[in-house]
Amino acid sequence: MERRIKRAAACAGAGLLLQLAAALHWTPLTFVLSAVLATPLVLLGGFLFLHAVWRNLSDKGAI
Amino acid sequence: MNALETSSLSIDVLESTTGLRQLVLPAFLIVALATGLAIVVLLFLGAGTLAANRVGRLVLLVGLVALPVMLSAGNLTQGVHESSSTRFCLSCHEMQRHGKSLFVDDRHALAAVHYQNRFVPREGICYSCHSDYAMFGDVKAKLNGLRHVWVHYFRPQPERLELYQPYPNKNCLHCHDDARSFLEAPAHRPVMDALAANRVSCMSCHRVVHDLAKVDAQTFWQAN
Repeated sequence: MERRIKRAAACAGAGLLLQLAAALHWTPLTFVLSAVLATPLVLLGGFLFLHAVWRNLSDKGAI
Repeated sequence: MNALETSSLSIDVLESTTGLRQLVLPAFLIVALATGLAIVVLLFLGAGTLAANRVGRLVLLVGLVALPVMLSAGNLTQGVHESSSTRFCLSCHEMQRHGKSLFVDDRHALAAVHYQNRFVPREGICYSCHSDYAMFGDVKAKLNGLRHVWVHYFRPQPERLELYQPYPNKNCLHCHDDARSFLEAPAHRPVMDALAANRVSCMSCHRVVHDLAKVDAQTFWQAN
């Protein structure tokens, strides 16, 4: 589970890092990258975390 | 200090700019993103320990899902708002002459008249006039913006900038249709229905929109 959570954190962190870089250097291109790449990365991180929890509970037979 | 210098945009700023201008989003957003990133990094490092207990898992849920999603939503909202600003539009060098046309000394040039008389907010004048007011007008404007970005970075600069489609009268009438000056103008009365139906373009009489000739001649209005 720890590996999956770290993967989720890495995705969310990468998304936030990209958004931070775009906010510091605000151009039309960085805005587009922030919207179409960084935001989905954060959403992917959230999805991976929830998936990791689901898998963990599933392995334990809790659901 | 003249009237233009007190606004958020001045001809000096435009003239001193070549190519892309360095713009930065508001400080509170940068601090929030940096803090969020630091929290995610800490959670990454302590994932093993936190995942072992219930409170830790709750902290992970908030720190890795709720917080980043909220920050992203805030950042995206602010970004969309900023992308409607005059500064953002004029940050591409292709738009420099059109930006300068806001300052020309021409009482008939529509862009200059609207800007100098504050008929629309100066901070968002490009977006005010170049976005449709229909239901999906904002979406269409943003998609056109994406197209602009594509052309700016990946295609040769067009020699002449043109609208994707003829300028719709409803964008003018959104503000002017019940304005006294518009209703009482003798020239408007015979064509009122045709204007409303978009059969006659406002631009067929108001021919000068961006007076680029005066931009090239450096004929700018300065308030005393």
